[in-house]
Order: sequence, then structure tokens, then C-alpha cells
Amino acid sequence: MAEAMRIEDYLAEGGVLTSPDNVPARYRGELMRLMASFVDSELAGAAGFADRINDAPGITARIAAARIVAEKTAHAGRVLEIMGEFGADTARYATRHPWAARVARDADLGQARAGADMRLSVFHYPLTGWVDAVAMNVLMGLATGVQLEELSRVSYAPLAEAFREIAPAEARHAELGLEGLRQIVATPSGRAKAEAALSYWWPKVAETFGRAGSERFAMLKRLGLRHRPNEALLADWTAAAEAALGGLGLRIGGR
Amino acid sequence: MARFYPLTVTDLRHDTRDAVVVTLAPREADRAAFHFLQGQYLTFRHAFDGEELRRSYSICSGLDDGTLRVGIKRVEGGAFSTWANEELAVGAVLEAMPPMGRFHAPIEPSQARHYLGFAGGSGITPILSIIRTVLAREPRSRFTLVYANRQISSIMFREELEDLKNLHLGRLSILHVLETEAQEIELFTGLIDAAKMEALFRSWIDPGSVDMAFICGPEPMMLAIAKSLRAHGIADDRIKFELFASGQPGRAKQKAVSVTAAASAHATEATVTLDGTARTFRIEKEGPSLLEAALAHQIDAPYACKAGVCSTCRARVTEGEVEMAVNHALEDYEVRQGYVLTCQSRPLTDRVALSYDE
Repeated sequence: MAEAMRIEDYLAEGGVLTSPDNVPARYRGELMRLMASFVDSELAGAAGFADRINDAPGITARIAAARIVAEKTAHAGRVLEIMGEFGADTARYATRHPWAARVARDADLGQARAGADMRLSVFHYPLTGWVDAVAMNVLMGLATGVQLEELSRVSYAPLAEAFREIAPAEARHAELGLEGLRQIVATPSGRAKAEAALSYWWPKVAETFGRAGSERFAMLKRLGLRHRPNEALLADWTAAAEAALGGLGLRIGGR
Repeated sequence: MARFYPLTVTDLRHDTRDAVVVTLAPREADRAAFHFLQGQYLTFRHAFDGEELRRSYSICSGLDDGTLRVGIKRVEGGAFSTWANEELAVGAVLEAMPPMGRFHAPIEPSQARHYLGFAGGSGITPILSIIRTVLAREPRSRFTLVYANRQISSIMFREELEDLKNLHLGRLSILHVLETEAQEIELFTGLIDAAKMEALFRSWIDPGSVDMAFICGPEPMMLAIAKSLRAHGIADDRIKFELFASGQPGRAKQKAVSVTAAASAHATEATVTLDGTARTFRIEKEGPSLLEAALAHQIDAPYACKAGVCSTCRARVTEGEVEMAVNHALEDYEVRQGYVLTCQSRPLTDRVALSYDE
């Protein structure tokens, strides 16, 4: 029944871990880093979007924007709870950072993490108004969908489960964004603004998938924390985003 | 931060030669903290020779049993499990954290589901809790248990399972798989591996009828079963895992005490181990943190908050002394074992060594 097996071999063969007790030290570090990146991105994303609720045209859009803010914050909380099981001080964590802080609109961070948190670089850029917020939400919403599909397979079972629970609501956020975008592009001036905003956000969202041929990927794959390489995920997102925007007759320049 | 509560041992029953079932009672004021979900576990702490050891054991009671029971199987060389089996007595007080764990599926009284559980050895404990709860709270559901053990005499809860089967006629089926004892049907002898799973699905269990599967046992068994379940169309969102890792260390290692701990120079020679590779560099004692220094030397050390809050950057000091400016994440017993938050740590001695691998 129980011949001994190295935990590394178990993970390499697709095994799952289920509690902080059976997690090796290196795995713990990478798992925490992965969770922190998600939590920080959700908190920063929600904080940035919160300011845009007041830009929303009409009651439905206001509700949609408020709902996105509330749900992204809840998703951060769901994963932060798992970090807490590893010892993180969740109360301090949630308030330790000015999540709404942003860099200049024309800054270029590339793929690097910046500042004192682990948010994806795209969440460092400021939103300039409603159209801009919708454009970012559509592109990043689709990216989140691709990333959550990947993360729903992580080898830490409680986290995989959390991501599977979170995924449908995040997908809905992207749909709400697309609905907003559909209304925006109904007028020629709206269409022009949307195209400009989408062109701004497109490369920044693409950066969130990380480098092609990443050397970290092999290590994370051995631990079962990743499965498909960055470039495959980027290709999935590119196809999804082109299809979604193409459906609205939008062609985004610079690609 | 984790909090421990006293639990009094009110009953103690030796279930097999090397397993004990312990019934525990919280203080009246702590009762709410020990409301549990089926399949959850308790983490205990106990000092052995002045050194704290923590161990988690699954609750085996159902939600409606009105008791809090855990099953503890003695592990060869395991300090806590041996102590629990040999020295623990009624009236003793154990310290435990409130129940934790997510090894359960929500109960829906109106549903008629087919649950499939796989337990290896003491992996039966959380599954028993789930079985008891499902049978009591989902009257139209049924449960199939595949239960692997070395031999008949090592089967935990054998009688209790038989009683449950008789009490809930037709709703609980149990297939015992014994590693070293031949049974009438050859299928039920040996290990649960890929071939055995195929045979089970061919002639005993219809995978199409399964709504939710639970697996609790050691690594190879978990792998073989999960692989087979997926191959038979049971996706990961319908499989619940609880790993009973075989490689748990017996006793926490004492932190190595340095003999060259005298501090003199302004700079320290720091050795940092990550992924089995040790790198040595010099760092100012009053300078940046050990994490910052490691990152500056292209060591891909894990970190997130850099504020002493999240514990992502945890490492173990194996030589010398360091000082943490802030610690909101590590508990005293971890600190005693030599763990530090590297984002908050600066060296005190002329040589320090730390490892992210331990």
C-alpha cells in the first residue's frame, strides 16, 4: 500500500498536495509567490477599477463596475485565506499596500514586477476613464480566463479548487466588459476612443504572460505549479482577443 | 495567527494493534471553535524533550455524531503517533488548533448521489467522517468505499464500517483490498494500481454513475487512482484529494548551533542555498536584508510582500545568527527551529548560512 515515494517524483508524475503539512520548502516558496501574484493583481485591479465606477454611463454599467470591484476583492480574499493557512498575516496583508497606486501612463515596465508588491505589471498603469477601463477589462479579462484555466490545474489542491470556483465570475467580468465595449463602439467617436484604448492595453496585457522560453517554467512544471508554457497561453489569449474584438469589427493596430 | 485550545481526552480505544481512536472534548467556551466539516483535520502540538512537534490527524466523526474523534495510527519512528498510542490516557489534555481542511463536498439533502471513496490505511479517518455524514444527511445518496490495507488485522474501523453497512442497508458498499492476504476474489489482493483500477471499473464500479470521488492515502496510491479516474471521465473538479504523505519527518531537527558565532567585522560572509546550489557572498551587517542581497546576487529566492507579513521568503538559518526586524508570519516554534523571514533579516555574526530548501 505505502511504498515510500519522494515528494518530488510524486509531483513530477502529476501528484497533488493537500495541506501545508505535506508541502516541501521550495514548493512552499513558489506556491506562495504564485498566490501573492494573484492576490496582489486582484486587489490592485479592483482598486484601480473602483475609481472608475463614477465614470460609468448609466445604472447598469455602474452596477457592473461595482460588481467587478466587489468580486475581484472577494477572489483576492479567497486566495489570501489559503496564504493564511501557511502563516501569512491576512489582515495586515490586505491593507499593507496602497493598492490604487499607479505609475505614469507612459511609463514602460515591461514584464518586470515593480514597487513593493507582486501584481502583474499591467495593473501598475492608470485607467484614464470609462472607455479605457472597459478596454482594459476586456483584454485583461480574457487573459485572466486563459491564466485561470492554467492555474486551475495547480498541484496544490485547495488552490486549484479556489481557482476553479473563481473562474466563472472572472469570465463573467470579461463578458460584462465586452457588453460595455459593444455599446461604446456603436458611435464613431466611441469606436475611435475604444481603438485607441485597446491599442494602449494590448501590448501591456500581452506582457503579463511572461517571457517565451522562461527558465522558471521548467522548475514550476516539475512542481506541478505550471503546465503549459507562457507562449502557448499567450497564443490562446491572442486568438481569443482577436475573435472577441473581430466580432465588434475592431482591428487593433500595432500587431 | 494560529491559536491552540485545550482538548480533554474523554475516551481512548485501541482499534488495531497500532492505531488508537481518541475522543476529545473542548472546554464549554471553545465548543464553537471546534464545529467541524466532514473530512477536516486537527493539528496538535506537543513538546518532546522541550521541543515542540506538530502533527495533523483527521477527524473520523460524522457531523451528527455529537463527538470529536480522531484516529492516530502509529508510524515507525514517529514521536507523536507512538506517544499517542502508548502513553496517552483518558483525562489527559491535548492542545489543538480549530479544525481545518477542505476535503469535503457540500451536502445536499435532496440529492441522490453516488460517492466513491478510496482509502489507504489510516487514510480511512477523514473518509469515515464523510461516509457517516453523507449517510446521515443525504438519505438518497450511496457510498462505495475501496479500502486498501496490508492485512485484515491492520484494518482500522473494520467493525464500525460493518455496522454502518448494516444500519444503512444497500447504501454503503465496501471493497477491501489487502496487500498481503489472499482473498477469494483475486482482484481484492495486492496494491491499488492502474491494473487494479481498470479491473474495478470493468466489473465492480460503473464510473459513469460516480458523482464525486474522494481519495486519501499515500502518494503512489493517489497517483494511480487519480490517473484512472480522469481516464474514466471523472474530472478534477469531481475528485477530492487528501494526501497522507509517507515521508513525514519523525522529529523536528534542532537548529545547528554555530561555534564561530562571535561578531566582529562589519561585513558578513553569507552562504545561501537554493535548489541544492549554495552561493557565498559578502554582505554589510547594517546593509540591505539577506533577501535583497541574495536577489542582488542573481539568486532567484522566493518573496512577495517584503514586509514580514506573507512568509513567502521563509528560509532556515543553518549557521550563525540573524536578526529579524519584523515578523508577522512565523510562529515561535518555527523561529526556534531556525526559520526566518529573509526579507526582514540581517546577519549578526561574521558567517551566516541559510537555506530555502529546508
